[in-house]
Amino acid sequence: MRWMEGLRDEGARRERTVGELREVLLKVARRQVHNRRAQLGYATGPEVDDIAQQAADDALIAICGALDSFRGESRFTTWAYKFVVFQVSAKVSHHAWQTEPPSREEFEWGGLSDRAGGSPAEQTERRELLSVMTKAVKDDLTERQRAVFVAVALNEVPIDVVAIQLGSNRNAIYKNLFDARRALRNSLAAAGLSIDPDEVEI
Amino acid sequence: MTPDSKHPLALDEHDPGCGPGEENLDRYVEIEMAGGDPAEAFPSIAVHFRHCAACRADHDALVEAVEELGDAAPSTRSAGGIED
Repeated sequence: MRWMEGLRDEGARRERTVGELREVLLKVARRQVHNRRAQLGYATGPEVDDIAQQAADDALIAICGALDSFRGESRFTTWAYKFVVFQVSAKVSHHAWQTEPPSREEFEWGGLSDRAGGSPAEQTERRELLSVMTKAVKDDLTERQRAVFVAVALNEVPIDVVAIQLGSNRNAIYKNLFDARRALRNSLAAAGLSIDPDEVEI
Repeated sequence: MTPDSKHPLALDEHDPGCGPGEENLDRYVEIEMAGGDPAEAFPSIAVHFRHCAACRADHDALVEAVEELGDAAPSTRSAGGIED
């Protein structure tokens, strides 16, 4: 457990270990920022690298502050990489939100489009589904559940961007989405409509 | 890992949300990298990763980091440059 020993040491050895850990974290950060490049729009090379540098720095601080919570249930490096992965994820989302924030329309219920096609019976069933869904989205969801469902499930706004926009976090937004889906499925089931995603095309 | 999250109404009642996956991601990935089935040790987290694109992306990123860098070790040089 040389990482732990080095990080808990004092003086030159600690300094060297911290520097080496940062180098490793930066490698992970650069690769992950590169993989998420599409989310960074027109960010320049230096901006992209700055995000990786900040992620490595913040992960390093978090790791050094959490050493007592490391229980050796995984390798130290896997545990440490997790911190930088989360940092990159958060920073890329924040950059995406800053440079191209979602529009208000992406959170507002605008109805579902009625696609043509299928047999008359299928068209009738689909119209009934749209009617029940529309009523359920308006009547059975809280304002927050409706905004999250519309943004994440219908308009595919990334959940972390939604979390930033609504001043929340991924876990809480996911819970909002989960509760919204459950309420809508209950409404469809109560109306005698299928809730099997393979059958329900929205 | 196959995503189940594309449908707007996709839902699994065994999905525990993002918290457990964030907490145990390192352990989950190590089981996977060792050729085991992490869904046996963490069944609800496996369900969550199929439904949450953001957590699945973090999972995939950690797998890639471990694959690429493995268990990197600090140097054994002492301050004077001699192996300790």
